[in-house]
Amino acid sequence: MDTKAQLNQPIYDVGIKKRMNTLEKMWWLILSAVFILGVYSIIDGFLLQGMSSTNLSNTVPWGGWVAFYIYFIGMSAGSFLLSTLVYGFGMEQYEKIGRSALLSAIVSMITALTFIFLDLGRPDHVFNSVIYWNVTSTMSWEIHFYIVYLILLVTELYLTMRGDLIKLSKTSQGVKSKIYQILVFNKKEMTDIDKGKDRKLLKILGIIGIPLAIFGVHGGTGSIFAVLKARPFLNSGLFPIIFILSALVSGTALAIAIYVIKNKVQKKPIDVTMVKALGGMLALFLVIELGLEWYEFLIGSYGLQHEELATMKLMTTSAWSWSFWLFQMGLAMVFPLTILFVKKTRQSVNWILAAAIMTIVGVVGVRFNMVVPSLIVPQLEGLPQGNYYPNLSEWITTIGLLAMCLLIYTIGEKLLPIEEDETSENGVSQHE
Amino acid sequence: MGLFSKVAPSIKEFGDMVNNILPDGEKELEQSPYDTKLGLDMARDARKVIAGKIKIEDFHKVYSASLISEFGDHFVSGPEVSKDKKYTGPKWGMVIDLKKCIGCDTCTVSCKAENRTPPGMSYNVVLETELGSYPNISVMNLPRPCMQCDKPACVQVCPTRASFKMENGIVAIDNDRCIGCRYCMVACPYGARSYDFGNGYEEEMTGYDEITSPEYGMDRGKRKKGKVPEGTVRKCNFCFHRLERGEEPACVETCIGDARFFGDFNDPNSVVSKLAASPRAFRLKEELGTQPRVVYLR
Ligand code: SF4
Ligand code: SF4
Repeated sequence: MDTKAQLNQPIYDVGIKKRMNTLEKMWWLILSAVFILGVYSIIDGFLLQGMSSTNLSNTVPWGGWVAFYIYFIGMSAGSFLLSTLVYGFGMEQYEKIGRSALLSAIVSMITALTFIFLDLGRPDHVFNSVIYWNVTSTMSWEIHFYIVYLILLVTELYLTMRGDLIKLSKTSQGVKSKIYQILVFNKKEMTDIDKGKDRKLLKILGIIGIPLAIFGVHGGTGSIFAVLKARPFLNSGLFPIIFILSALVSGTALAIAIYVIKNKVQKKPIDVTMVKALGGMLALFLVIELGLEWYEFLIGSYGLQHEELATMKLMTTSAWSWSFWLFQMGLAMVFPLTILFVKKTRQSVNWILAAAIMTIVGVVGVRFNMVVPSLIVPQLEGLPQGNYYPNLSEWITTIGLLAMCLLIYTIGEKLLPIEEDETSENGVSQHE
Repeated sequence: MGLFSKVAPSIKEFGDMVNNILPDGEKELEQSPYDTKLGLDMARDARKVIAGKIKIEDFHKVYSASLISEFGDHFVSGPEVSKDKKYTGPKWGMVIDLKKCIGCDTCTVSCKAENRTPPGMSYNVVLETELGSYPNISVMNLPRPCMQCDKPACVQVCPTRASFKMENGIVAIDNDRCIGCRYCMVACPYGARSYDFGNGYEEEMTGYDEITSPEYGMDRGKRKKGKVPEGTVRKCNFCFHRLERGEEPACVETCIGDARFFGDFNDPNSVVSKLAASPRAFRLKEELGTQPRVVYLR
């Protein structure tokens, strides 16, 4: 019983298998269709019309794509930090989500970079941002951090999978086997020494990765906004920390959602203890975030600074306020917190999943509120007040990229041994 | 018939044609009271200096003695640029007298015409605010070009160093380097930057697309879709291309009330330096530490 396929065999009966196939086909079909639509929109808008295809203006130069860019950066940093629990700190109880957290960190990062690439006015000049380094520019640092971070993620995922890849290169046939052979550099056997080495390397990478993800990638991305003294609402030392917290929130929520949904669809047993523990973590992060946000608003409003007050007023009372109350405060804060606090709901996998999905959706609003409101408030009295909603072209592109994100993730799951070998977890798992 | 002739003059022949009409150096110098040979030698070596074959210092070393003996003490030859690299040229700045500004927007219009800014973009705007309540009411006009800050927030954040501070005090943008990330627009506390969305006035105004904005003295030919500066960020640069040819910025030249003054803040005796020392002088958002080079008189 050395391959996963054999191991899973008894769990499936023929009916489930059939249903799986149609489900999977639909999944691929819908995602590809949406993705193609997105590609069309990118060609039609971004390539042929440039930025004039968006609702962006000189008063609101950043919009939806920047919001989604930081959304996915957050997802990535959060997922990665979760994976370090396993590979950095050796918390075996989370082993089952380790690789998929790494994979989602990579995929989120790719998606984030695609979003921000689409937001550039001159994609043909993009390499200037790598060639010319402005040491005082947070964005310049970020671009370099992202590259290092992505390399680190890929290396780490590779090392965690190496043993299974070697197995796969032997058991699979044809082209697939060739690919696996190339991936493992034709290595035939995974000795215990190799395993030990990999584990050590993983630990080191995890330890380098933690500060890189926290301070470099995520705190740094938060600093891109926090350093803007022209935007008093963003210009606070707490801002990057809130940014990191909402990364942890969305990363944890994503890990829960992926794990539970995947196992539900495949009709596999769910490790309830782990899901509950993750739910508890999510609640903890949410509470800390709420506390930080409270101080952000308290101190911000206490300063009585004109622009800061105007931004807060805009967020909480204007025509955009639904995004603050419903998404940021509701979906990404109060609703999941309530679910995770009430005794009855916090014990149930389904409720925890609901809380996770709410958070994932709500954080989109959180990210929009970080970007747009402070840009709408004019910098000088008399300058025009901005107005921004993403237009149809921006939405189609966005949805297309979301589909791309899911597609890459699914391909990754299909081709790579993302799920842990089941033999190792039989002991700890507790079935629903 | 020259038109159909197969024989075309060679490049050298063109050169000879030019040489034929040049005055003969030797003959010309003969007429002056000074040494002819010295003049001819210096002319020959000066060409070598220009071609980079001789160092200017050596040139001066060779000729300074003969020059002094020929022209006397009032001509002392030596390298003109001082050794220390410190910039001593002008540092441009602007003073705007708000008492004189009537809010006519001439500056805005002349700026648009001069810099050929597309729709939705204006390097200069005049902000109007009403103060007080009826009947004690006044209107404040605040012309706002780019402040050319000495500690510019935009330059600080630009990831590519496409935005940079020039020695003459002007903050410039290298549009050929700019990636169009618009970080600088978000960072500027004065809203002085705009993004070139690539639109134009071609429909209302024939010939708008015939020339690209002459900014920074660059001739970019026709304005075309997808061509720089489209997709990059633009802003006021004190009409750098006009300064280069000795003209004031367009807004200063056209201001009907003479509310704008332009000059060298490095020179303590310039009009702008004197005005900036007035107790009426203030700068916008001083508290942010951007140190604008545009000073207002209240
Ligand atoms: S006014 Fe704005 S664009 Fe101009 S130099 Fe200052 S920060 Fe830069
Ligand atoms: S838009 Fe251009 S000038 Fe502005 S920060 Fe980005 S690269 Fe620099």
